[in-house]
Amino acid sequence: MNALPRCLVAIALSSSVAFSVAAQEDAPNEPPAEETAAFETLTEDYSCMFCHGKTGTLSGTEKNQHLIVTKEDLVVDIHWQKGLRCHDCHGGSPALDDFTDHRNDPSFRSLASPQDIPVFCGHCHSNAQYMSRFRPSPRVDQESEYWTSGHGKRLQQTGDVKVATCVSCHGGHNIRAVDDLESLVYPTQVAKTCATCHSDAELMEGREYHGRSFGHQQFELWSKSVHAHAMMEKGDLSAATCNDCHGNHGAVPQDVDSLANACGTCHVKVAKLFATTKMKHQFEKTDLPGCATCHGNHKIHSPTDEMLGMAGGAVCARCHEQGKHGATLAGAEIAKQMHDELAQLVTQISSVGEKLDRAERLGMEIRGPRFRLRDANDALTNARTLVHSFAIEPVQQAVTEGLTVTSEVNSDAEAALQEHTMRRIWLGFSLVPIIAVVTLLLLYIRSMPSTK
Amino acid sequence: MSRAPEKPNDSPATRPGLRDFFYDRMGMSVAAGLAAKKKVPIHRSTPFYFLGGMALFLFVIQIVSGVLLSLYYKPSPDQAFESVQAFMTEVDFGWLIRSVHSWAANLLIGILFLHLLTAYMMRAYRRPRELTWATGILLLALFMAFGFSGYLLPWNQLAFFATRVGTALVGVLPVVGQDLLLLARGGENVTGDTLSRFYALHVAILPLLTLAMLGFHLFLVQHHGMSVPDREALRLGGSERLPTMPFVPDFLLRDAVGWYLVLGILAALAALFPWELGEKAAPFSSAPEGIKPEWYFLFMFQALKQLPGHILGIEGELLGVLFFGCAGLVIFLIPVLDRGQISRLVLNILAALAVVFFIVMTAWGYFDKGSLRLILGASLFLGVLSLAISFSDRGTLVRRILWMLTALATLLLIIGISQELYQ
Amino acid sequence: MEGSCDKSDKCPRRSWLVRVLVGMNLVAIGSLLYPITRFLRPRRGTRHGTLNVVAPFRVDQLRPDADGEWPAPFEFAGKPCVLVRTSDGEIKAFNAICTHTDCTVKCRPEEGDIFCSCHGGVYDLNGQNVSGPPPRPLEAYKVILRGKPGREEIIVSRT
Repeated sequence: MNALPRCLVAIALSSSVAFSVAAQEDAPNEPPAEETAAFETLTEDYSCMFCHGKTGTLSGTEKNQHLIVTKEDLVVDIHWQKGLRCHDCHGGSPALDDFTDHRNDPSFRSLASPQDIPVFCGHCHSNAQYMSRFRPSPRVDQESEYWTSGHGKRLQQTGDVKVATCVSCHGGHNIRAVDDLESLVYPTQVAKTCATCHSDAELMEGREYHGRSFGHQQFELWSKSVHAHAMMEKGDLSAATCNDCHGNHGAVPQDVDSLANACGTCHVKVAKLFATTKMKHQFEKTDLPGCATCHGNHKIHSPTDEMLGMAGGAVCARCHEQGKHGATLAGAEIAKQMHDELAQLVTQISSVGEKLDRAERLGMEIRGPRFRLRDANDALTNARTLVHSFAIEPVQQAVTEGLTVTSEVNSDAEAALQEHTMRRIWLGFSLVPIIAVVTLLLLYIRSMPSTK
Repeated sequence: MSRAPEKPNDSPATRPGLRDFFYDRMGMSVAAGLAAKKKVPIHRSTPFYFLGGMALFLFVIQIVSGVLLSLYYKPSPDQAFESVQAFMTEVDFGWLIRSVHSWAANLLIGILFLHLLTAYMMRAYRRPRELTWATGILLLALFMAFGFSGYLLPWNQLAFFATRVGTALVGVLPVVGQDLLLLARGGENVTGDTLSRFYALHVAILPLLTLAMLGFHLFLVQHHGMSVPDREALRLGGSERLPTMPFVPDFLLRDAVGWYLVLGILAALAALFPWELGEKAAPFSSAPEGIKPEWYFLFMFQALKQLPGHILGIEGELLGVLFFGCAGLVIFLIPVLDRGQISRLVLNILAALAVVFFIVMTAWGYFDKGSLRLILGASLFLGVLSLAISFSDRGTLVRRILWMLTALATLLLIIGISQELYQ
Repeated sequence: MEGSCDKSDKCPRRSWLVRVLVGMNLVAIGSLLYPITRFLRPRRGTRHGTLNVVAPFRVDQLRPDADGEWPAPFEFAGKPCVLVRTSDGEIKAFNAICTHTDCTVKCRPEEGDIFCSCHGGVYDLNGQNVSGPPPRPLEAYKVILRGKPGREEIIVSRT
């Protein structure tokens, strides 16, 4: 985030052998106001660490371990890096030199239960004026969003203290900046972070949303999805992970009617096509969850042409074969047609591609046609997208466009192969003088007077 | 006895002025004198004298086609593959020139192997031709180096990994291995610098060395005249009494027939089986399946692959490399080692073993399928046996053994073919 | 042994042979030299592995046609290349392969963006991905202008 203070922290901390903690000169509380972002060495009378430090008086017993704060944690913490110190969040007075129980101090902001955490963080993070010091246009809606989330509601309404609060995802004293690669909420880490609870079978046991049981397989399923592949293998940070569909601070399971909107944030064109179809209304009428009906939810595979149509493995067949959910046989026919159209173009592209490969291996110039073939691939991708209009005409049109290209490329490829055959024929012609010369030479040698 | 290099129809008295002009000023009379004096003995093994001429012809083809290729080739890892691909498709006859260059390289090595084998069988290395033999072996090594360095230049996947494996072998040598490896690769890994090095080697260093060595080799051949096998000399009562033919034009014309035949074969191979380019090298991908060096390195590659990690506490690969090094040294020193009947017998047995080893390993490494290996191996054996038979005396034990082996190889060939057809 | 003609009765046949032999030799050598001379001819244009290319239109031709269509992407080193003009009049060149899947993007002059019709990906005229599925900005090429101001040739370069 901010490199300079970070470096200063690192230097200062590593040089101080025993992590001597000291206090700032004056300690303002209730949004900390006056300090500058630059790191200041703490003076010796900064007393928090006497007890909360690694070797402090609290460190002795097992049950106090959560009260211990270590240097390692603080070094990476964005708040510490920005110059905030213990009392800036926790209140109280660090200058106290005696071992008094600060819990009785009215200015100390106690964290008695998880329920206190959102308010505790929101103290600053919901304060637009305060936050704008660190970021010109800060978002300050996290806390209010949190109370609308599944987590927040449950915490508020049932007092279930096992739900996620701010610290569950961001950490306690080692809160890294959100764009830190190792931050628990960095795009590549989000799923794992959510999974700490959501993959815990015991913890998820008996939890449900609108009567549907939660399950604990989401992470495992997502890991096999095309989104996880894009994120983890291709390094595409914009690929969908948990929060992209469920929200982060306001995390909720997607509802039937909001699902298509969630997918549509990235899959714009498909969402637009789908929004105007009869299929969408029928889905809504019969309570089918939009995109997920065919593509699934967490384990969303890269779609294939086999998903289309009425053959085995085709998702259309699930309803259209037996007329479930008001599906029609006419729809089945369209699905079949769409599949056949796509299959035709795929076959054409691959057969033409093979011909081009063959010609290329034979050393023929085919890059012009190869370049042209890109248009056919474009048409194919386009046709696959247009499947979501659930009408045959647009698909047919796109496929026809593609087929025009493939037939052109096909004739080019054939011409190239033809040319190669011609080369062989020309070789034959060039061998004629060579063979002739050899024969004549032999004749000539024979006719030479013999030597002794 | 001698014959003027010109056609007999030309009247010697009326030489055109221009020819006269050059004839005098270029010392052509010396060359003409040499040419007139040079004679080639005629006996059963005379056809093997053509091999050297064919190799020379192929070398000329390599120079011409190589220079042509260098007009379009760009030796950098970003552009090497693309430039080869580009001139194969964009330049008129680019595909042909590249195919000719690749095919001629392989034919050349093949012919050199035959040249070596027949020279050994004719015992052409005897005094005073020890140096001719030694330069010949060095020339073979140079041409193999040509092949090795040229293999990498198109910067395709197979070549890249084959080069990595091939250069890594140098690294197993004790003490100097790592330094030699760095020298060969121009770095820890096969990189763009390796490509530049191999390019310099292929187009500058090796050609210079080869031309010098070849000049020396040809001078020695010219100086000592053609070697006559003992057997032929004995049969006809002394090498002086052998019939001869003048080099110019009799032998030269026969040579020309060989050249034209090579040319025709080359054209046919290049046009019918154009040399493939493969995939562009991706240095950080995992090695592709079935990486293979060129066929003439295959026997070493295959043999080294079979060696266990350690033999008697010494690294297996190191032992293999040292073994091949020693074998090369023995071949180089054959003129010195051949000191009489017994040493000759030992050498012959060693040579037979070496040829068997070469054929078995090559056939084994070349194909994955048993029947195809059998066919290739048996055919190669038949080829070598037919050579050996032509050098053995009628009615001797050796010849009988050779015939038996020929029958065995034929049987194996038939088994291989029938297996292949049956499947 | 004398090979002179007047003593040999094979002479007529030999002189005929020699003539044909020389002729055929010339043909054979010609058939060798023909591909070499063709090989030496400059190629018509190199596309693969090329580092720069002259766009098939000049600066003044870089505008929407009658149907409002922007000049289509042209080939550069085996890939399509799209030219755009930013609001400041600067000309930029991009690899027109969408970073999402493999479709070819096109410039939409009215919207002032670069658009991929396959999945509705949108890039701004600097090649930055602004909406839709594309994960990365388009690969940018260098643009060099050459010639009379207003009618310059556009040279796209990879270096």
